[in-house]
Amino acid sequence: MTGYRERIAGALEGGWSFAGLYAVAVGGPVRVVLSNEGGDVLLETVEPVADTVPSIVDLIPAASWDEREAHDLYGVHFEGHEPLRPLVEHDLDVARWTVPVQGQDPYQVAVGPIHAGVIESGHFRFHLVGERILHLDARLFYKHRGLERAAEGSSLEGGARYIARSCAACAVTNGVAYAQAVEETLGRRPSAELARARTILLELERVWSHLNDISAVCAGTGLAAGAQRFAGLTERARRLNAALTGHRFLFGAVRIGGSDVALDAATTSNALEELGRLRAEAASGWRELVFNRSFDDRLIDVGVVRMKDARRLGATGPAARAAGVIEDARATSPRLAYDEFAPVVPTRAIGDVKSRVEQRHLELGQSFDLLESLLVRPLQPCSTEPEGPEQALAASRVESPRGATLCVVERDGDRLTRVHLRTGSYANWPVVAFAAVGNMLPDFPLINKSFELCYACADR
Amino acid sequence: MLTLLKDLRRLRRQIDLPRPDRGRSLVVRHVDCGSCNGCEHELILASSPYTDLQRFGIGIVASPRHADVLLVAGTVTTRMHTPLLTAYAAMPEPRRVVALGDCALGVGVLGSPDEIVGPVEDVLPVDLRIPGCPPTPDAIATALLDLIDGSRVR
Repeated sequence: MTGYRERIAGALEGGWSFAGLYAVAVGGPVRVVLSNEGGDVLLETVEPVADTVPSIVDLIPAASWDEREAHDLYGVHFEGHEPLRPLVEHDLDVARWTVPVQGQDPYQVAVGPIHAGVIESGHFRFHLVGERILHLDARLFYKHRGLERAAEGSSLEGGARYIARSCAACAVTNGVAYAQAVEETLGRRPSAELARARTILLELERVWSHLNDISAVCAGTGLAAGAQRFAGLTERARRLNAALTGHRFLFGAVRIGGSDVALDAATTSNALEELGRLRAEAASGWRELVFNRSFDDRLIDVGVVRMKDARRLGATGPAARAAGVIEDARATSPRLAYDEFAPVVPTRAIGDVKSRVEQRHLELGQSFDLLESLLVRPLQPCSTEPEGPEQALAASRVESPRGATLCVVERDGDRLTRVHLRTGSYANWPVVAFAAVGNMLPDFPLINKSFELCYACADR
Repeated sequence: MLTLLKDLRRLRRQIDLPRPDRGRSLVVRHVDCGSCNGCEHELILASSPYTDLQRFGIGIVASPRHADVLLVAGTVTTRMHTPLLTAYAAMPEPRRVVALGDCALGVGVLGSPDEIVGPVEDVLPVDLRIPGCPPTPDAIATALLDLIDGSRVR
């Protein structure tokens, strides 16, 4: 039998890419999840010897956070991952979790966990010379609630509550990823109608989220008029969510085994009208931003992540596409209604703040297109249909507004033995730290907002 | 830029929010102690043109040193316990603590017991509770206004 590292290296050569790594239990095996362009998922499992498995971080730099998390939460040692800095573990000497930075007059600026705006909690340690950022150590997990561990032992249906609590901004994505994984273990797949219901919800989530992100970038440059204009549109998108499902963040609209969302002809037609207005007003607001020279000037060549770095670091979603990586999990989601979906990237995809904002604008257009075609007829409550044999383990990938989100479900009968959520935000946080390097410290809030990642679903 | 401002002016006329009947002010410092990010997203929109918290003289500031109110979202995680106490200690008196959202109130909290301290009232004296999962921007604004009125009576 070939070794674990050889199998991973072989899979990478065979066109598979990294989707996540997690420890099943304390003293239990470690699993690596890989995905390919066809949307298939491959699992490689390795049993630890004396709590140690070989590291793959040299083959896959994007696995760095995953290995560090598995070490901190499940006590797995990764041979060859040196130094294995703590990630989730907090009560440690600063020297242990920060990267040593040397040079002429370097100093540190510690920011957070409480930030200056209405922002989630997390700590950033900047290493600077003057105003220039040499290195950034991001220390998250201040909001770690141990949701995955708490979910262990609950029923498959009960597990959905823990997934829902992990994040409001990705509530639909995380819920769909969990539901799809559970349904796969039960040997069931969504009916065409259920696929349509879930796709509508996913795109509604993307619409409010992308409108919010454009507003946030305007706020990051101090352009209050743009921030307020797009905040107003975000508010209307949330009100539309409430009108369609009874909840502004679409909480409770996704469930395992089916959908209870019913939209009659009058409701869908009203929704289409409001979406049309939102689309027109967002386009008009966008034109104002495009032709605002001083706004534009703040975005260009700031927080650059080139395509090769985006791939190396495992960037995903708008952040990766803005760097020219033409990948979108929606293109490979047979359980959802994304037939003939093709990812878009901006003409000027150089991975700076400007490219990332443009990417949101382009994707908004796609989401409006999708919703226009998905909402042409009323929606009825619907369910799953049989697909194949039952399994003990399944993984599902769904594209969130922040990138591909992986959910792995392991079960024993109706009991959840392990659930692991690796969201688009989790994948992109190391990329934010990379993007900050070489920029001025006062530009960091803007760079951060151009990713607009969640802390909640990274921390769990 | 001019179109943006024109659009905002038109929006303001359309929404036609009532103006406050008298002058007052409240300065708020927000702290996230382990929320799902829902309360933060709604609090941000409490400043959107549709709710416009600022018209009541309510502002969200960067430092607890400037604040009358500590607005705490989320159930308090072990890791946010000390930062929360530090922020509270930094506030000038008189000061008020507001628990924002069901998690902060201890309703339906999920997670591992060793990672969670408890609802905000287990850590700080809570003056006002804003329920909701998450509370809407209007609910947040209404509750904060009640706090101003309550303070006057007191």
